[in-house]
Amino acid sequence: MQIFPCPFCGPRDEREFHFAGELGKTRPDTRDGVSDADWARYLHEQRNEKGHVREVWMHMPCSELFVLERDSVSMAVIGSSPLRGAAE
Amino acid sequence: MSAHRVAGRGRIDADAPLNFSFDGRAFQGRRGDTIASALLANGVRVMGRSFKYHRPRGPWGAWVDDPNAIMNVALNGVELPNCPATTTYLEEGMAARSVNAFPSARFDLKGGLDLFHRWLGAGFYYKTFMWPDWHLFEPMIRRMAGLGAVSDAVLEGYVADQLHDRCEVLVVGGGAAGLVAARSAAEAGQDVCLVEDHAECGGGVWQRAEIEGTAPADWVAAQVAAIVAAGGRVLTRATAFGVFDHRMVGIVENRAFGQAPRLRRMRAGRIVLASGALDRPVTFANNDRPGVMSVDGAGEMLARYGVLVGRRIAVVANNSAARAVLPALVQAGAEVVEVDPAAGPIRVLGAKRIRGLDQGGRRVEADTVLASGGLTPLVHLWRHAGGKLDWCDARQAFIPGRAPEGMVAVGAAAGAFDLESALEEARGVARGGAVEASVSHYHLTPLWPAPGAKGRQWIDFQHDVTLKDVELAARENYVSVEHLKRYTTLGMASDQGKTANMAGLAAMAAIQGRPIPEVGTTTFRPPFVPIPIETYHGAHRGQLWHPLKRLALEEAHRAAGAALGEYGGWLRPGWYGQGDVAQIIAEEVRMARGTAGIFDASPLGKIEVMGPDAEAFVDFVYYNTIRTLKPGHIRYGFLLSEGGAVMDDGVIARVDQDRFVISCSSSHVDGVRTHLEAWRQDGNDPDRIFIHDTTQHWATVTMTGPKAREIVGALGLEVDLSAEAFPHMRLREVVWQGGPLRIARVSFTGDVSFELSIRASRAEELWQALIAAGAPLGAGPLGLEALSIMRAEKGYLIIGKDTDGETMPHDLGFGIPRQKKTVAFIGDRSLHNAKANSTARKQLVGLRVAEGAVMLPTGAHVVEAGTQRSLGYVTSSYDSPTLDRPIALALIEDGVAQMGREVTIWHLGETRRATICGPCAFDPEGERLHA
Amino acid sequence: MRDDSGKWDRLPAVDAVIDAPGVVIRRVALVRQVLISGPDVLTQIDGPVVEWPGVVEAESYALSLRRDRVLWVNGPEMAEGWDAARNWAVSDVSDGYEVVEIAGAGALALLCRGAEVSLDQPSRSVARLLFGFGAFLYRAGNVQTYRAHVGRAQAGAFWTALEVHLRVSGDV
Ligand SMILES: [Zn+2]
Repeated sequence: MQIFPCPFCGPRDEREFHFAGELGKTRPDTRDGVSDADWARYLHEQRNEKGHVREVWMHMPCSELFVLERDSVSMAVIGSSPLRGAAE
Repeated sequence: MSAHRVAGRGRIDADAPLNFSFDGRAFQGRRGDTIASALLANGVRVMGRSFKYHRPRGPWGAWVDDPNAIMNVALNGVELPNCPATTTYLEEGMAARSVNAFPSARFDLKGGLDLFHRWLGAGFYYKTFMWPDWHLFEPMIRRMAGLGAVSDAVLEGYVADQLHDRCEVLVVGGGAAGLVAARSAAEAGQDVCLVEDHAECGGGVWQRAEIEGTAPADWVAAQVAAIVAAGGRVLTRATAFGVFDHRMVGIVENRAFGQAPRLRRMRAGRIVLASGALDRPVTFANNDRPGVMSVDGAGEMLARYGVLVGRRIAVVANNSAARAVLPALVQAGAEVVEVDPAAGPIRVLGAKRIRGLDQGGRRVEADTVLASGGLTPLVHLWRHAGGKLDWCDARQAFIPGRAPEGMVAVGAAAGAFDLESALEEARGVARGGAVEASVSHYHLTPLWPAPGAKGRQWIDFQHDVTLKDVELAARENYVSVEHLKRYTTLGMASDQGKTANMAGLAAMAAIQGRPIPEVGTTTFRPPFVPIPIETYHGAHRGQLWHPLKRLALEEAHRAAGAALGEYGGWLRPGWYGQGDVAQIIAEEVRMARGTAGIFDASPLGKIEVMGPDAEAFVDFVYYNTIRTLKPGHIRYGFLLSEGGAVMDDGVIARVDQDRFVISCSSSHVDGVRTHLEAWRQDGNDPDRIFIHDTTQHWATVTMTGPKAREIVGALGLEVDLSAEAFPHMRLREVVWQGGPLRIARVSFTGDVSFELSIRASRAEELWQALIAAGAPLGAGPLGLEALSIMRAEKGYLIIGKDTDGETMPHDLGFGIPRQKKTVAFIGDRSLHNAKANSTARKQLVGLRVAEGAVMLPTGAHVVEAGTQRSLGYVTSSYDSPTLDRPIALALIEDGVAQMGREVTIWHLGETRRATICGPCAFDPEGERLHA
Repeated sequence: MRDDSGKWDRLPAVDAVIDAPGVVIRRVALVRQVLISGPDVLTQIDGPVVEWPGVVEAESYALSLRRDRVLWVNGPEMAEGWDAARNWAVSDVSDGYEVVEIAGAGALALLCRGAEVSLDQPSRSVARLLFGFGAFLYRAGNVQTYRAHVGRAQAGAFWTALEVHLRVSGDV
């Protein structure tokens, strides 16, 4: 059972967390003629990387949405930071 | 009797006799015995039958490395299956039964199977029982092959305790290396926990005459005392069975027999693996006969239980560790003859009773054969954690290589088979030093299965996999060890390959002429020892498996005779009263349509959205335009996924300029709250929007029907309830009996409805007041089933029932925001792709059957004439008590354009006809709603 | 469509008490619970802010739930809605959470059945998953007295979970 560090609450076990998506998905401005291909990319394309990944998770007890950096092979946690002000 | 007890030996209590039985025969053992040692002490060797051929089997090992002696054991009315006789401690009154043997292990009627072994090779099941259908054979094979049956009676009180724990250093294994490592770390001030699976620590120490100049008993006691004195913990009869992510170690603790084990989830800062090593079997003909045991097993039997396994013992061994065991056997009175395995092929003589060995025509008389093919370090937990293994030529074994983070191996588990140097290392390692495993005095001559050898040479004792089966698998190209395992079932026994795997992969290596490390090992997976499945679920069973949410009014409903059932994760009233259920439900509908019904709508969401950006936020998350909603007004709308699919529907009320209340559907509250929180923090300014889920603070009681206004009026509220002053889709906040009451005019029935929300602790007062006010008029409680019919009569949909994962709002007749809404909202772009614009979308319509026809089955398909292609399906179907005819809702391709068309309905091979109509079957003008 | 009334035990009485060796479990009636959210609410709130594993001594206190939210326990009555002057969102949830007190020398061992709870692992929030339920867990009045606020609709199941785990834990 993994331990993830919530930027606010600190380390908690994985049962308290929910995966929200890969970091770096920016919602296109839908008022500005988004092409079918761009929209499909936003909706469906995942990098699904092996190794170092940057993901968005939610810590359910406090609802904090945050950036989690981890290794998808070794399961090592590299760090976490609040989503607020996160670089894409 | 060849095996017997030797007075004055072992750790058993000679003065504490324990009576027990095996296969109906009475025996006596001693406190401290395992079932296996007690049976051996009584001269009993045949303790079970093998899985496939029903060959008689006795114990090979003395502890977790025994694959043979598996029993059903009963004590005080509790019978547990799959008890390994070598690890089950004896208790007074135990009744053990061999499994896989009927009527007893000594006389097995199925023993005849052994004669057919020629046809029962590897892959036999796969090849033979495939035609005409495996399922014809499966029940018979399962019955024949089973390893005991679980009795339902046992399970009731059999609940595993589960707890979370943590320590700085977890030492796995209480043998010599583990003890000194734990002591060393504890004395260095670390929080240490040591787990040992035997009832007492010591490991292989008990086989020694002395250790560090001290008697074993004194030495072990001193180590344990020092660990405890330094603040460490020692858990015995506890097995670390798996290492999971981030050094979560699963520890299973045996409790009293018949009591479920305890699962301790230990979060360890550092893990010291001191799990020791196992003696591995030697592959020769008939090496599975009862009386063929491991050298180490014989040493343990003598040292721990005072049981000498034979009187005249032939030893087939290739290594110095095995030879070190022999003097103790001789000293206890055995006659020992060493047979050099390199001198020629060996065959065991005798069946249920061993007569000796044959080696190239030379006969060695013996009643017992001990074998040792060398030591295999127990590296299971090392591999669970992701540690690497290195092949060691000198030891002919895989030993720990690159370490996983936070883990270190010491002692025999690390390949340090020489005790003195192992202790030195373990002390150093516990203080943070490096491991330097040295071979030292241990030496062996490589000894592996020889392909092409004659006779039946067993590799997996429990699953009856022989060397010939490995050869067959190789011929059929199952050469990967993972394929070999699955094709032959090698290593799939309850000992998880502890005895079989090394021989199996060495055999494959020899057949292919490859080095052993190139063949590699199969994956090591938890659990290290068999564990009752209850250990994993613990108390998460029965009402705690998936606890439903409970209503504040539950007692009131029960008192009113409610039939409670699960509706969207809540325990809610389905209907009220006993009798013909359909009749009761129909009566509830007629009552509500005729006068009024009162129902508990408490689970409806009450998610508040507040703050300066609340308006823009709800406008973004809703499909519908919300910014134009005035304070005190309510609007019906949809929440969409980014893919444009309808996620939830419900009403949203604007309390004031910067405060909204979202009333999402009852079963979606947690999901909607999370959805809103995610969007609040991602893409919006979370300092200007706040979301409070207040659902459980409130109880909601809804009064619906032509008399609803009159009944609510009886509460004496200071509000004008008339249709003009308080029209449909308006919200009022009033005070009732000194507390706040929220009244919403919304309707899920098509009749005038007042949704009254009050703080949950006062729900009962409100409920009773409304029941009292309604009773004289003939109004009463309404269950969810009646409500479901009433909403279907109106064509009101339930998300997830009348919609599927592709349904978009314009499929449901709500197309305007898609065309007109100008600001961005979740899912907007998806409503305009080729799929969303298609004319072949499934749309919500009604279905009408011919006069006198019965209702359509929910789930029936609407099919295209000729091709039988599905065009959609029936989503809701009821007999309408109001209209006195069946009604149905359906999702049908391009359904709206086909109003009035007759379609074919198919269900379980039968076809019917129905006519597409509008979804609303009752009061389509909505006159009742605004009355 | 089935009657499962018998499958689900009636809810435990509000005044029920579990009195076992080392652990006493009972409900606590609070005067008021109010959710307050705002960008700076943790520093603005006028009262002790409780984190894990702190021990609250006051009658009235604020549980730190998230970076921008507290549950104000036994505070004054407040106007609900958006308070533009203080940048606070305020909702009365007095009936939204039931409060269970688990007290005694065995209390922590019991709680360890439900989560990786440790006094050595501080947290700025008292919110956590406990026995599978969302809960606010902290200590009140005494280092061995724990309080858990649990959503009202799940408080009965939470109570049952404590009862069952206490029964199966035995000697620890
Ligand atoms: Zn958190």
